[in-house]
Amino acid sequence: MTLEVADLTHRYGDELALEDVSFEVDAGEIVGLLGPSGCGKTTTVQAIAGHVNPTTGEIHLRGEDITADPPERRDVGVVFQEPTLFPHLTVAENVAYGLRPAGVDPDERAAIVDHYLELVSLSEQREAMPAALSGGQKRRVELARALAPQPDVLLLDEPLSALDRGLRDRLREEIARIQRETGVTTLYVTHDQETAMALSDRLVVMSDGQVAGVGEPRELYESPPTPFVASFLGRSTRLPVTPPGDPGLTLERRALAGDGGTPVDANVTCLARPGDITLLDSGQAENAHTLIGVVDRVTDLGTRYEAVLTLDAGGDLTVETQSAPPEPGELACCTIDRTDLLLFEESSGRVGPVC
Amino acid sequence: MRSHISRTDDDVSTYTRTTWTARSTLLVPALLGGLLLVYVAVPFVAFLARTGTADVLARLAGPQAQVAIRNSLLTATTSTTVATVLGVPLAYVLARRSFPGKRLLEGLIILPLVLPPVVAGAMLLTAFGRFTPIGATAYAVGIELTGSFIGIVLAQTFVAAPFVVVTARAGFGAIDERLERASRSLGYTAFGTFRHVALPLARGTILAGVTLTFARAMGEFGATYMVASNPRTMPTRIWVDFINGGIDAVVPVGLALLAVTLAVLAVVQRVGRVPTVIDR
Repeated sequence: MTLEVADLTHRYGDELALEDVSFEVDAGEIVGLLGPSGCGKTTTVQAIAGHVNPTTGEIHLRGEDITADPPERRDVGVVFQEPTLFPHLTVAENVAYGLRPAGVDPDERAAIVDHYLELVSLSEQREAMPAALSGGQKRRVELARALAPQPDVLLLDEPLSALDRGLRDRLREEIARIQRETGVTTLYVTHDQETAMALSDRLVVMSDGQVAGVGEPRELYESPPTPFVASFLGRSTRLPVTPPGDPGLTLERRALAGDGGTPVDANVTCLARPGDITLLDSGQAENAHTLIGVVDRVTDLGTRYEAVLTLDAGGDLTVETQSAPPEPGELACCTIDRTDLLLFEESSGRVGPVC
Repeated sequence: MRSHISRTDDDVSTYTRTTWTARSTLLVPALLGGLLLVYVAVPFVAFLARTGTADVLARLAGPQAQVAIRNSLLTATTSTTVATVLGVPLAYVLARRSFPGKRLLEGLIILPLVLPPVVAGAMLLTAFGRFTPIGATAYAVGIELTGSFIGIVLAQTFVAAPFVVVTARAGFGAIDERLERASRSLGYTAFGTFRHVALPLARGTILAGVTLTFARAMGEFGATYMVASNPRTMPTRIWVDFINGGIDAVVPVGLALLAVTLAVLAVVQRVGRVPTVIDR
């Protein structure tokens, strides 16, 4: 593999920012490093780039331990969260900036700059100063600047988070194309699960300074290893779990304790995707697998409705539906296919779907 | 006045109203400030009124004035160079690192700005005077630290160096550290990054600091007079002329110094970005 992060732990003073973070990025692969703000993504990236010295742990690049190397000896390209174009240099000079230390012959530099400006479709802006560029153009120049010295690995630290949605989507496409064309090994850091799923060959999900799950996006989405991954990759809503023997709701008893199912105890967390839950017409309410609650609020999102139910069994349940749900204050019944339930035993992680 | 224009446009009337409100609110501070401005302007006018052009030029061409001007230009250039070469790196460290005792160091470096120059001169004499260990050692190898060209440079550097340190520090502080990280990740060492990113980006501010230092060194009198009243610089020349010939004798060299000051001001305004004296 190209990049290997092994047991990375970092403390800022007393605060533990990273705890035993390990993952790998293979050659040519684009890996999404995904997690909420403050989960340690940026610290991880800074450690890989050499701008943070990890408390313990190792970073290997092409099989070589680079943990103690200064940033300039690492062959790691970085695109930071905020624009970092050199304001006193033109676009072309910015892109050429890393070529001299990379040992590129002066005669060849102009051609390389041309090539990378073309790659990001900014040949016209060669002589422009960074201040004259739009937000999206700046990002593209930075991408070209980071790629020009042909780094072993490219780190993209939330490069799109400061842009508006339309631009973000277009640039995401462009980054995917550029990554395909250059084949550069890439670590893409983001808190946006949609971007991460769309771009990545594999995902590393982080939570609270630790790796919460590693895998292909679809695989992580469909069978999340932890409740955190389930709620962060796509939304999920928690279903109340009744201990066995308790006169609880039909759904819990049947789904969890039913034939061949996992024995239920109170330490089990049961999650479901809002889209997997079906609202029933009042006529079907007698059906076996049902949850009953009062509609608390309804949000019309245009393409769908979102209803929050206060369950009789306690807790809130979010339901997505195409047709208009009952008005707030009315009673609603819903059901979920038991194969769609995501079950987790709190101590040992995933229990698995009950089917 | 806007109010006379016969338009009932809402915008216009709002504009007029706010303008009037703004005017009446600023009336008192404007009057007080105006008084200060007049007070500052009067001496300039009075001083310039003393000049008879021919006499000034003739006096400036005289040997004494020429020596003073040459000495001042030489010493001020030297002390500004010393202050810049040593002060800009110090400013960079102060802008980029925090370490125990940093506040103390920062206090120390701005101390000469507020210290009365004559006290600074006395302190310099206690440290480098002819009969102190350092002064005596230097004298033994033939270097006079007081009453000499070097003495003038010592006094000027002590008093004027804080300007370039404080200004350059603010200039470096204003540069986003991420630019330097980007430069490091693009293969440049810490020194290469300083040279290619920090220095060019802080250039305007550093230049302003250098210019201010030069102006302060040119005008330095108190400490210089204590440490090295000879050879004469322009300020010490002015003092001697004043003692011997009264106020009119001072006008020619005084005008020359004023001209230097105006030139410095023009440069500083041109390169812009003069931060407040103490910028944390």
